[in-house]
Amino acid sequence: MVRSRRGAGASAALAILAVALAVASLGIGPVRLAPGTVVAALLGQGDEAARLIVREIRLPRAVLSLAIGGILGLSGAALQGLLRNPLAAPSLFGAPQAAAFGAVATLSLGLADALSYALPLAAIAGAFLSVFLLLAVAGREAGLVLLILAGLAISSLAGAATALAMNLAPNPFAALEIAFWLLGSLEDRSFRHVAMALPFILFGGALLLSERASFRALTLGEEAAQSLGVEVGRLRLVVIVGVALGVGASVAVAGTIGFIGLVAPHLVRPLVGSDPARLLVPSGLAGACLLTAADIAVRIIPSTTDIKVGVLTAIIGVPFFLTLIVRERRRLAAGLAA
Amino acid sequence: MLQVRLPSRRAVSCLVRAGAASLALALSFGPLATGPVRAAGPRVVSINLCADQLVLALADPDQILGLSPYARDPLRSFAAADAARFPRLSGTAEEVMVLRPDLTLSGRFTKRATRDLLREQGLRLVELDTVRSLDGAIRQMREVAALLGHPDRADAAVSRIEEAVARARSAADGRPRSVLPLQRRGWVSGGDTLMTSLLAATGLGNAGSALSRGLGRQVSLEAIVALRPDLLLLSEASVRPEDQGSALLQHDALRALYPPEKRIVLPELLTICGGPMLADAVDRLADAVRAP
Repeated sequence: MVRSRRGAGASAALAILAVALAVASLGIGPVRLAPGTVVAALLGQGDEAARLIVREIRLPRAVLSLAIGGILGLSGAALQGLLRNPLAAPSLFGAPQAAAFGAVATLSLGLADALSYALPLAAIAGAFLSVFLLLAVAGREAGLVLLILAGLAISSLAGAATALAMNLAPNPFAALEIAFWLLGSLEDRSFRHVAMALPFILFGGALLLSERASFRALTLGEEAAQSLGVEVGRLRLVVIVGVALGVGASVAVAGTIGFIGLVAPHLVRPLVGSDPARLLVPSGLAGACLLTAADIAVRIIPSTTDIKVGVLTAIIGVPFFLTLIVRERRRLAAGLAA
Repeated sequence: MLQVRLPSRRAVSCLVRAGAASLALALSFGPLATGPVRAAGPRVVSINLCADQLVLALADPDQILGLSPYARDPLRSFAAADAARFPRLSGTAEEVMVLRPDLTLSGRFTKRATRDLLREQGLRLVELDTVRSLDGAIRQMREVAALLGHPDRADAAVSRIEEAVARARSAADGRPRSVLPLQRRGWVSGGDTLMTSLLAATGLGNAGSALSRGLGRQVSLEAIVALRPDLLLLSEASVRPEDQGSALLQHDALRALYPPEKRIVLPELLTICGGPMLADAVDRLADAVRAP
């Protein structure tokens, strides 16, 4: 089949691009290191400072940007497949905001510290609750307007609750920390953060990928899918759990990073077609490329303090979202009239 | 440095209309003009952590009407135990307006709106500058002691600080070592700070001067690793990562370069403000440097 060969080609190209961006990101940072020094440091040779910078500071950052971008892209594609709706994405459903609330609430109550496994677990619970709530409120045959309105309500509530929880905590640095949770960043992370997030991200990703056939069946409509042996109720639950695992773990170590999940599937759709099963892997790879590129950009743009990578993804993502709305205007208007 | 600001013209004219008695009160500026209100000296409210320290050290207990919300913070307030005896205010204008003290002490960076409101109410507000050196701290203690009506009361604390500095000088081994004062989220104290002055008193250099000439700034972990100061100065020995900002201090790269023996621990309550605690700060630093 021509299509599948095209899909495989696109995936391979995106994978190469993602690796290239990750390697490039090892060479970029506030301290200038020559490419030769970076390679030597990566192999464990040369100056101790350079070795620490490359292996303990930049490498975990690159790993996290690939993994988080990947799972966000994959989650977006899965939600779009599940709801048969090109405007679905974790950040529009308030999942990252709710995950941040879960994490902040555990920190504020003093139940856990910022480097313990309780943090991703709490964030995953928050993300699960928000996506579950959204799909429950919006119902099975949810229109676009309903989904977006419900998502807006949930993300506003979760954002406000996060700020409140931080204010109520006995932490005099609350204002700074709120900014961190609401605008994600990957700066100065370590392999401990990788260890905290990666297992959950991999598991969530595997769950979503395991349902690729169901997504394809679902394009024929729920009833047709059911007759093909897809249990739609179970599928919804699996997708919610997969998205919550990925988004929650990401937020626990990096704060909320939005819009990757919305943009990535749209970028690869022209390359691989609109079959949701074939869209999953390329979307994940595109998400990894996007976040890694954004994380390189925040290090290159000259500024006095660090630019948060979540700010950059929102600046790119929101205009993109608005363009999508313009394109979907007719369907949206019909949804309102109904 | 101290700066006394007069109430705005509008506030004064308001007071003129309000009556001669309150006008006399509002115009009774200057340390010696405390007037016949009370023999013990002006009644004072502090709405700033560092002002709390000076008030607790230099005023009579019956002069103190209230202290800032951080006065009892055991991590940041040197006189926290003492502060428990006095009312804890919210740090906003309301309570001060009700208490109507003769003197209100705030910091230079206390919320602008609070300071303006108090002045408009015709209250006497003195803003304390952030102390940038040991000499500045000594000067400020003398000035505040005078404001509080006890001009000689700073002498004991000042001579304790001077003795500690002399002890540290004679003990310094002359090895030039650079120390980086590092706080949560990678905040580094800059060259123009009390920290630089404290380190210099014990014969150490502030590595942060290379990163910031002023008060300091937030730097990336990479910049710290590349700078490679000889020692790190932290405010706590083992930081509980209660949030992402303090988790930074536990990063693997820092742990590899700076094992415990390359870290000096100096509690924040000794270095955050000017005041009598600086004698202890100098002593602790001198001990820490001599230890290895």
